[in-house]
Amino acid sequence: MSAKVWAFALRSLARQPGRAILGILGVAAVGALLFDMLLLSRGLLVSFRALLDSAGFDVRVMAADAPALARPRIAEAETAAAAIRALPDVDEVASLRLGNAIVTGPDGGTHDIFFIGADAQTRRRPWILLEGRDLGASDTGGPPPLVVNRRLATTLRLRPGSELTLRGDCARGVASAAPPVRFRVAGFAAFPFDDPKAMTAAARLADFGRTCGLDEKSDADLFLVASREGRGPEAAVRAIRALRLDLHAFSNEEIVARFQQVGFSYFRQISAVLSTITLFFGFLLITVLLTVSVNQRFAEIAALRALGFTRRRVVLDVLAQAVLLVGAGGVLSLPLGLALARWLESILHAMPEIPAAMHFFAFEPRALATHALLLALTAVLAALYPMRLVSRLPIAATLRSEMVT
Amino acid sequence: MSILSALFLFATGAVPPPAPPPPDPPAILVSRQLLASEHLALGDVIALSGDPKGSRAREFRIAGVYEPVPDPARLGMVPLEARLHLSDLLALIADPADPAASESVRSIGVKLVSPAEASAFMRDLTVRVPGLLLRELAASDDSDVTFVVLDRFHLAISLVTVIASSIFLLALMVMLVDERRDTVAVLRLIGLRRRRIFIQVLAEGLVIALAGALFGVLLAVVLEGGFNRFFQWRYDTALVFVRVTPAIAARAVSVAVPLGILASVAASWGLLRRGAMALARR
Repeated sequence: MSAKVWAFALRSLARQPGRAILGILGVAAVGALLFDMLLLSRGLLVSFRALLDSAGFDVRVMAADAPALARPRIAEAETAAAAIRALPDVDEVASLRLGNAIVTGPDGGTHDIFFIGADAQTRRRPWILLEGRDLGASDTGGPPPLVVNRRLATTLRLRPGSELTLRGDCARGVASAAPPVRFRVAGFAAFPFDDPKAMTAAARLADFGRTCGLDEKSDADLFLVASREGRGPEAAVRAIRALRLDLHAFSNEEIVARFQQVGFSYFRQISAVLSTITLFFGFLLITVLLTVSVNQRFAEIAALRALGFTRRRVVLDVLAQAVLLVGAGGVLSLPLGLALARWLESILHAMPEIPAAMHFFAFEPRALATHALLLALTAVLAALYPMRLVSRLPIAATLRSEMVT
Repeated sequence: MSILSALFLFATGAVPPPAPPPPDPPAILVSRQLLASEHLALGDVIALSGDPKGSRAREFRIAGVYEPVPDPARLGMVPLEARLHLSDLLALIADPADPAASESVRSIGVKLVSPAEASAFMRDLTVRVPGLLLRELAASDDSDVTFVVLDRFHLAISLVTVIASSIFLLALMVMLVDERRDTVAVLRLIGLRRRRIFIQVLAEGLVIALAGALFGVLLAVVLEGGFNRFFQWRYDTALVFVRVTPAIAARAVSVAVPLGILASVAASWGLLRRGAMALARR
């Protein structure tokens, strides 16, 4: 389409500014909702994948393919971890023990915290150190080190170097008989899967075992495995499965695929339904606007045709108007959609046990491309009927009819 | 024993009785989904084990099929479940090395004669049996919070949809008013006052809004069945996803009708304020 066509279409729209503005605003509102639904359709998957990848481990090994609470622990964890570590496809293995502990705050009140025991020998950690020092592999004398999340630090008014006492509660409902253990806060860390209200602390496996009254070389809840560079997680998963038939190894890719099937599929469904409805709504809006506009301009269009405008030219004029309306509305819908996404995100994040780093609406370039493509398709489809009206307009009959009326 | 004595025993009926048939396997119920996924049938004898490796498996006979209670929190997970008699389950999963295992259960459901006294009952039981974790089922838990949040999310989406619809409606009304500019001019010229035309605009807005709202409710009622059937098929569940209740219909109408009237008044406002000659382009 030439610049003349665009300029003519723009002038046609500008002649009825109220109508054009309402059309653009309508498309913007519809487009914002569509954009949000596209972000929502993959938001959880994208952010879940980012959380899994954040620590640098790309394979997870567990004792059974069952939810965390119902899952048995990996027996003889030390031996199993050593065997997996020796595989050529594996770079690093970190054993994890998960439990709970009770800590007393400065006000005398007790707090239940999520307690992690982690292998301190590994280069990678399942948390991100924010301040202070990480857990060291060797003892430096004094109380054992502990890393805590910001929320726990704020609640208990902790600083690196502060000391606190933990009472283990790690045997899933069975109270530990172990005596409380005094820890020294080595640093503050961000734990990727923490929900906003979580208070989390991590200690070395041996210190975790002592707090929970467990044998140092006892079971593990989970192995985090980093595949060797160049080999890939799939090769590591195959090797672990071949090595230990009783263990269940999953790459991050497989966990995400499983999550896609069962976890929060409701949001994908609702985004699909709402995307369809918003597109239909946008289509209807533009079709009605253009059809009424064309109906009101029959005489003008017939006159233009009589003056020498080709059929193609007047049809292109209608198409250009549709593109201008949808284009302007579409551009406006992006900031609107982002603002709306932030609002909806704040509503959905009130759900319990959603990690703070997980997002329902995650921006991806492909969402932007899909949004543009769907709106463009809507513009073309919406313009089809008015374009047909214009292309079949009988010039002489229309002019005569307009003269008579 | 000689042949003669054997024959004697046979003749007098004193032969040892034949071995009794093996006992019928205990009866279980399986979920409809499990029955379908494993291609089972009523009366089939299946082996169950409490161990992932399949050790210490025991045989059970499928006595019936049940539909699991739909749980929105487990949407997407196919409920492959079986119901066993408690004694059979304990025998199946109990650790042989733990003599107390066959005497322990994870939870006990209690139905009170007077549900209003649940709190007092829980206090009393906590004192009598320390160490028990008691929870009132009627009390709110995390899943309730989830649905409250989802409700807020739906409300927010509805709000955005209403805004978009209002803009659409306003655009339609502006076009309608433009079309009727000449008619309004004639009405003014023949003596109808602004107030009279304004009432007409209001009445028209009311009729259009009412008709649109009622059509919307009817459409929702018609789509309700299809929507539910699709998602029940998609998730293999008996959950009801959409239910158009009179309260929801009334809420939709109470929002749509004032918005429709407001849109028609806003669209006509400019037209009503102009003089009759200006409207007639004179």
